[in-house]
Amino acid sequence: MSLKTLFKSGIMLDFYFIKNNKSAFISMLIWPYMTLGLILGMGMIFGSSKSFVQNVGMPVNPITYFIASTIAAMVSLDVMWGVGGSVLHHRWAGTLPYMILAPNRTSVTLVFTYIPRYLLSAGTQLAEFAPLILLAEGVSNGLLKIGVMVLAVTIGMLPILGFSALFTSFLLSIKEETNVLGWLNPLILLFSGAFYPAYLLPGWARLISRVLPSTYTIELARLSAVMGSPNLRRVTFLIGILAAMSIVYNAFSGIFVEVGERKAMREGAI
Amino acid sequence: MRALVRAKAVLILHTIRLWRYRWSFLNMILAEAAWVFLFILGALLFIPKEFLGVAVKGAFWIIVAWSVISNFSGLIGGWMNFFISIGMVEEHMLRGFSPFKALIGRLIPGSAVTVASLFFMGALVGGAFRVDVFAVEDVPLLLLGMILLVVKGLSYGFTVASIAVRTSVPQNLLEILNFGFIGLMMVPLSSVPEKARLLYLAIPYIAPTHLLKVATSSAPKMLVYEAMAISSVESVIMLFLAITSMKLVNSWILRNGVRAIGFW
Repeated sequence: MSLKTLFKSGIMLDFYFIKNNKSAFISMLIWPYMTLGLILGMGMIFGSSKSFVQNVGMPVNPITYFIASTIAAMVSLDVMWGVGGSVLHHRWAGTLPYMILAPNRTSVTLVFTYIPRYLLSAGTQLAEFAPLILLAEGVSNGLLKIGVMVLAVTIGMLPILGFSALFTSFLLSIKEETNVLGWLNPLILLFSGAFYPAYLLPGWARLISRVLPSTYTIELARLSAVMGSPNLRRVTFLIGILAAMSIVYNAFSGIFVEVGERKAMREGAI
Repeated sequence: MRALVRAKAVLILHTIRLWRYRWSFLNMILAEAAWVFLFILGALLFIPKEFLGVAVKGAFWIIVAWSVISNFSGLIGGWMNFFISIGMVEEHMLRGFSPFKALIGRLIPGSAVTVASLFFMGALVGGAFRVDVFAVEDVPLLLLGMILLVVKGLSYGFTVASIAVRTSVPQNLLEILNFGFIGLMMVPLSSVPEKARLLYLAIPYIAPTHLLKVATSSAPKMLVYEAMAISSVESVIMLFLAITSMKLVNSWILRNGVRAIGFW
């Protein structure tokens, strides 16, 4: 089974999922706007954008700030669910043993069948927020900021894929039916500074946030919210960290998923 | 006597299920609290430090109100899908017991999740911002607001469950609808034009949420009696609609059988 076949099967899976579950697709379109609306609405009703700038400590546009946060958070969440959570879905559907016995490595199957969905969800979110960004920032500045967000969701995906594959190995090993990712994911987003900057978190939480790849993905996306042009030096620095994390996390996940797979084959996956 | 035995069976069923699925129960509480905390943190970035206390409290009680609506519609309405898919609707009807009566027991996990999340969220938010979110000025008013909200949430859950027997209820869209209520609940009554205030209170769930806000001093005391009257009348109407729809669906199942469509 070639990688091209896995990729193609991912496209077909998503195509039929959307075709047969239109409400899920509509929800995918509406949900990011609802998240953004909730935070901005709640913030503006109880406070003001002036206080926001004071609390964040940077000259940022709150709309672009939360658009960038929402996109990066949703995309990180999507990867964690799409790769890590799919083990649970396969277990529930009874297809996990077939996946483990398939010629390709489980991690390779999970990642390659997931990539089309990632491209679809990240592309859809960027496209649906693009008009709002252009409206808030103007055309030339807006395009530049969209460019930074595209960079964040592209480069930022690589370490998160490895990070999520580590979850896969964990879920394969613990044989747990309960959806542990349900509460782990929001906690990861919390420590990554998804809607509240990580540098404002307590010291112990900042230590956790430093080892999470999503922290840097979110930070990179959020650089687009700074008034004027994004700082290129900071952009390059964050890309460097994300590239290094990609190597580390993907190398680790390669080892750990193999261990999880072996354990699942030896002891049964269900 | 027979009714008592059946009621006992329903209570035991749901209590045992709650214990058996305790990890899922814990997972649900943690997930809900973590998501709420995440959103509250984002919104609080807009608040000047001197107003943080009032804002945290206001946001917390709005989220509590939403949690009641969301949990009751999901845990009661959503359970009908499971009940249909395991063939239990027919089993209950053949024994002359309405499946909706078995569904009443979902009040146990529904309220357990809501109450446990409420305390966990309170501890999390209160601890992070050093605000006592449980400092209540008017306890009877808070209880009244909560009871009215629960009655409305339950009626909504049962109406959704009865609709789910006849046609499909897309869970995603229902969640979006529930989420939309937060937006409406957030609007302070004082910022609504005076002539439209009663109309605003008449939107389902708004009046009992206003009572919660007043009871916890996160909103000024205005139109309290009007809110009480509106939410009481609405609760009765919603309860009546739920009972009627359940009766209609019961007789429809007897004539047509169960359509395993449910809630997805």
